[in-house]
Amino acid sequence: MALQGPEEVGEQVEEPEDLDDQDASSISPAEEITLPPGTGGDEEPEEAFLLPWDRFSSWLHCICVVGFDLELGQAVEVKTTRICYLSFPDSNSGCLGDTQFCFRFRQGSNRKSSLGCFLENTDRDAPPCLKREQGHYYGYVYFRQVRDKSLKRGYFQKSLVLISKLPYVTFFHSLLKIMAPEYFEKQEPCLEAACNDIDRWPTPHPGRVLTLPIMGVVIKVRIPTCYDKPGTSQLVQSAQGDSLVSIILPTIHEVDLFRCFYPVFFHIQMLWELVLLGEALVVMAPSPAESSETVLALVSCVSPLRYCSDFRPYFTIHDSEFKEYTTRTQAPPSVILGVTNPFFAKTLQHWPHIIRIGDMKQAEVAKQMKVKKLKNLKTLDSKPGVYTAYKPYLSKDEEIIKQLQKGVQQKRPSAAQNAILRRYFLELTQSFIIPLERYVASLMPLQKSISPWKSPPQLRPFVQPDFMKTLEKAGPQLTSRLKGDWIGLYRCQHFLKSPNFDGWFRSRKREMTQKLEALHLEALCEEDLQQRIQKHTEVEAVDLVLKLKDKLSQAEREQLPVRPGTLSKLRAHIQAVILALPEDLQGILHKPPTS
Amino acid sequence: MSLRVSGMSVFPPVRRDRIIAQLPQAFRKEAALHVTEEFNNKVRTACQEQRTGTVGFKISKVIVVGDLAVGKTCLINRFCKDAFDKNYKATIGVDFEMERFEVLGVPFSLQLWDTAGQERFKCIASTYYRGAQVVIIAFDVNDIASLGHARQWLEDALKENDPTSVQLFLVGTKKDLSSPAQYSRIEQDAVKFAREIHAEYWAVSSLTGENVKEFFFRVAGLAFETNVLAELEKSGSRQIGDVVRINSTSSNLCTTTKKKQANCCQ
Repeated sequence: MALQGPEEVGEQVEEPEDLDDQDASSISPAEEITLPPGTGGDEEPEEAFLLPWDRFSSWLHCICVVGFDLELGQAVEVKTTRICYLSFPDSNSGCLGDTQFCFRFRQGSNRKSSLGCFLENTDRDAPPCLKREQGHYYGYVYFRQVRDKSLKRGYFQKSLVLISKLPYVTFFHSLLKIMAPEYFEKQEPCLEAACNDIDRWPTPHPGRVLTLPIMGVVIKVRIPTCYDKPGTSQLVQSAQGDSLVSIILPTIHEVDLFRCFYPVFFHIQMLWELVLLGEALVVMAPSPAESSETVLALVSCVSPLRYCSDFRPYFTIHDSEFKEYTTRTQAPPSVILGVTNPFFAKTLQHWPHIIRIGDMKQAEVAKQMKVKKLKNLKTLDSKPGVYTAYKPYLSKDEEIIKQLQKGVQQKRPSAAQNAILRRYFLELTQSFIIPLERYVASLMPLQKSISPWKSPPQLRPFVQPDFMKTLEKAGPQLTSRLKGDWIGLYRCQHFLKSPNFDGWFRSRKREMTQKLEALHLEALCEEDLQQRIQKHTEVEAVDLVLKLKDKLSQAEREQLPVRPGTLSKLRAHIQAVILALPEDLQGILHKPPTS
Repeated sequence: MSLRVSGMSVFPPVRRDRIIAQLPQAFRKEAALHVTEEFNNKVRTACQEQRTGTVGFKISKVIVVGDLAVGKTCLINRFCKDAFDKNYKATIGVDFEMERFEVLGVPFSLQLWDTAGQERFKCIASTYYRGAQVVIIAFDVNDIASLGHARQWLEDALKENDPTSVQLFLVGTKKDLSSPAQYSRIEQDAVKFAREIHAEYWAVSSLTGENVKEFFFRVAGLAFETNVLAELEKSGSRQIGDVVRINSTSSNLCTTTKKKQANCCQ
């Protein structure tokens, strides 16, 4: 249905990857609709500086409407072709009715938003997997296909798409469930009102309960923080009766792991290893809804670790990375793709790990216990299951399988099954990270090595053999009952070489370096600077002022985790040193630095 | 199944000037929803014994409708922000405010939806009207036509809601702009109309603040009372306020339900 002729494809895929040139049917800050600035009652001081549309932009990049025209294909209402193709199902199966799914794509040009700096600060408290995406956007799609005899094609086919950098999949799908049906019925004024609603929302600040009015209902959410105990939720679903006026979302991002993994649940532990190690993985599913959900489930199963490679919940042959990712001249990239087009069964035949999800009856699941050989993967109509030659490092955990199976027999609610599975993955991942955390903590220089008059000490380097040595005594065997080759999982060919390790170590290193800078700054503030200056020349005093000013702006920019009061102390120090200088110099130093 | 929100501590406490201990009284006895001087007995007892069940965390949805520029947004801004902006700015789609109260010691919130009076947004209005417990129809006391249009606003608002369960208020705005003689003339008409549609009549000035707080307190008080009564009726003999805790395992769920049944039979 949504598949286009090849000659058309070649032409359209090459369109610039620019998001900002949509036409009028996408409502974005670039468009000239003048709306009053937000006037929310709970105005935060930091939010007082926000311009019109800033609040909207802190949640969404834009809203797109993608229609289908018989002659033109999807490229009707939005110019960015890629979004068009990603907004429609490309598989053969019907998808009649309403479908929701999501996709993810690379940000085109390197345009920096004026909001960037401000949003980074609100992002600081978010858990790693919920931070704003740097180089990618998410597209959240609500697709409707219903029979309509009045249309030439015989069908009404339209998608409402929210484009955002925020990975809040559950939240945006709930939002679309409210917005899209109304929009399909009532057209543009509805979108305008919805955008206006969103532009009055408080910014997505982790840790606060946010009240978000939209189209006559209020959504209540709390964005988790990195300080939350993993696996807990602070908001609980409200009583049924209130759902007309108020919806409380217990989670903004978690997908139902059990439902997603159900077709392959004998292999969950192996899948966890594959994701952890950043192996090339493709999910072939009958619909974008299933492909995107399964990919998101895979990515989230290593939480609280952030999955650092690229992943595409719904990937089509029109994606600009199609050639890059499917080439046979190189080893498959470290990515997870979700696809529905049967064409991929052939294109990605050489991939090492393939998950096939079909419409499976419960009886069939029982037969999926064996891992399937890759050579048995035929291009079309292959049986559902996991196709791989991979040998897991850890021995199989029969207990979790039994527990989940028992749940199925007892008709345990899906939410409970999901909670069990989530906790299982969490413990597995934590057992795996703890030795790394412990080793990295030992790389921190001693407090006594921090001297206010020297630059802050460096973090010691991560030495793989040293780390491997710590595993013998204090490896995951301490916290996990699972047997197997844990050490092999870390080994240099694997986790330690993966983008997941790189990403994790980078963020740890950044945190620890900032901590060192903060400690250094605190030590500096404790010094008696004036007394020190008296012993030095004027030139040295000026040099000190400049250095202190530098430190101060760095601390403000990076929001260094200093003790409260440190920065004002530093400002007072700078002031005092300046005042001790001759008047002409004072005038120069007081001027704000021109950049 | 009722679940209680466990992380209530995440909300800040209710403002001191939003505490309602006595039933606020009507503006005109001849056009009031009811004229009892105190909260319903059953409601008071339930609150005293803290049997209010989910009402404690309940919200009532309030929609404000009426002609263009009668001052719907100003009315809400005067109450929620104690502010008055003389410049007119048309509302796009809908504005929203959440106002938290404590009534008889129980937390209670009003969701105030301030809808656009513009014709252009008529088609989406029904979306915003849905689930309203209170409908406030605003008109300008200096503009008899705006009172005339109140009937149409009422009809539109009730299309999306159960007319028997909605509490209606007819509010005349911009009272400060009208002379006593002018005012009393339009009041006659307004009271008559209010009685006819079973609405409670109020007249306010958002500029001076006259009657604004009293009006919203009355709205909150009556909405709360109705809410608790409905909750008490729904639960019947069952003790409301009983919280069913649900853990993630089904076996747990079973035992809780069983225990609860046993309680009911006692």
